[in-house]
Amino acid sequence: MAEKIKILYLDDEMDNLTGFKATLRLDYQVFTAVNIPGAMEHLEKHPDIRVIFSDQRMPGKTGVEFFESIRSTHPLPMRILITAYTDIDSVIDSINRGNIFRFVKKPWVEAEIISAIEEANKFYQANSMLAIKNEELQRAYSELDKFAYSVSHDIRGPLSGILGAINVARDMHDLAEMKEMLFLMEKSLKKLDTYILSMHDYYSLQRGELHIGDIDFKKMIDEFKDIYKVFSNTANIDFKVNINQREPFRSDTIPLKLILNNLLSNAFKYQNKNTDAKMVELNIEVHKGVATIQVADSGIGILGNHLGEIFNLFYRASSQEAGSGFGLYNVKSALLKLNGQIEVNSVLNKGTTFKVTIPTK
Amino acid sequence: MELSFIIIDDTELDHFIARKMITNANNAYKVQSFLDASQALDYIMADEHEAGIKVILVFLDIYMPLMNGFEFVEEFEKLDKAIQDKYYIVALTSSIEISDLNRIRSYTAVKEKITKPLMAEDVRTLINRIAARFNLKLN
Repeated sequence: MAEKIKILYLDDEMDNLTGFKATLRLDYQVFTAVNIPGAMEHLEKHPDIRVIFSDQRMPGKTGVEFFESIRSTHPLPMRILITAYTDIDSVIDSINRGNIFRFVKKPWVEAEIISAIEEANKFYQANSMLAIKNEELQRAYSELDKFAYSVSHDIRGPLSGILGAINVARDMHDLAEMKEMLFLMEKSLKKLDTYILSMHDYYSLQRGELHIGDIDFKKMIDEFKDIYKVFSNTANIDFKVNINQREPFRSDTIPLKLILNNLLSNAFKYQNKNTDAKMVELNIEVHKGVATIQVADSGIGILGNHLGEIFNLFYRASSQEAGSGFGLYNVKSALLKLNGQIEVNSVLNKGTTFKVTIPTK
Repeated sequence: MELSFIIIDDTELDHFIARKMITNANNAYKVQSFLDASQALDYIMADEHEAGIKVILVFLDIYMPLMNGFEFVEEFEKLDKAIQDKYYIVALTSSIEISDLNRIRSYTAVKEKITKPLMAEDVRTLINRIAARFNLKLN
């Protein structure tokens, strides 16, 4: 069953409050207050109060004045004024100043109160949905801007490189030179391909649903260990894997693999060319329903002032051309879906360690 | 030779292409490559180049990680006037964004702008134009 709607009633007469609560407490979660400080306390403690009823005639402030005072601090709850006096001036005042949703005439009857709550709740839901959608829309717009910008560089860049290469090829007669250029062309095209694949990852992370299943980390790592073995052998990087899983773990394979793959490929990619003992170490430990994944490398490291930005879309903290600016952003999105956390520690020219924690589902 | 070249770009292929087009125009040209703009800046600040060089043509990519082309130009414009005067910066960009293109134009140190792909013909006419303008001997 859905949680009860929270409502607040402010009235200086205790009897009214008691009667109100007695009538409505079965269907709603009712908070009552005999004065404004009491009402404020409820509002602070329960920011999800949806409907506020207030008596108009109270010592000190009127109900309208109370509503007016909370308009900017608590804009979401719907405001309903309970009053015995309904001259036109006070009606105008309460609508214009107090932003009242409805009036309830004193003495109130139960049916009227309930219908007021239900109507107010519909408005509340529509408003909050609108606020959430609006926020999503803003984010989508700002990402679209970034995309438009990135397309002009990250897609057009490699393409114009290839076009330039074709132009140069017309004056090229040396086969060895041609092969060198073809190698660089291939590299550019692979980068473009990676970009498009990551863009697909990006999209599926934003839109896809979760498919929870049992995760066997050892099996999962075995699957892509071979790929990294190749890296490890050709670049002479020591690859250590420690997996310690003695309990079941439930999660979604796809975002989990995406996280591991991105962190591992970064660890292999951004190695320090001047280090003799190159290494990548993967540690996975599942303990009390939490998987802790650590990927450590002996790589180039990340400058302190870039650390805060590495998870931003299209941010690249290295001039090595391998990066697309998607990887860690996608890692962050994947972790958001799995309720996970990520920490990073890095020392320039020494190495970087990413620590990921993910709770079981 | 009174003209030499610097290429600043984060893509190896673009270095290869530009270098090839320059040396196709004249095999004797000296070309310096930098994948990282800050290293190019260090090199320029050191102000050590072959005797006889009067103009150094810089092909500058705009969209690069860490220090981008804009940041490079901003730092460059802080250098001694005597150093700045030796360099002729040509912005080379794959960008079709109007805001980028306008921003490139706003720097006085950036003399020209070429939209990628770079073509052999572009390089030849550029060299001839600079040679005429600065009265350079190209042999």
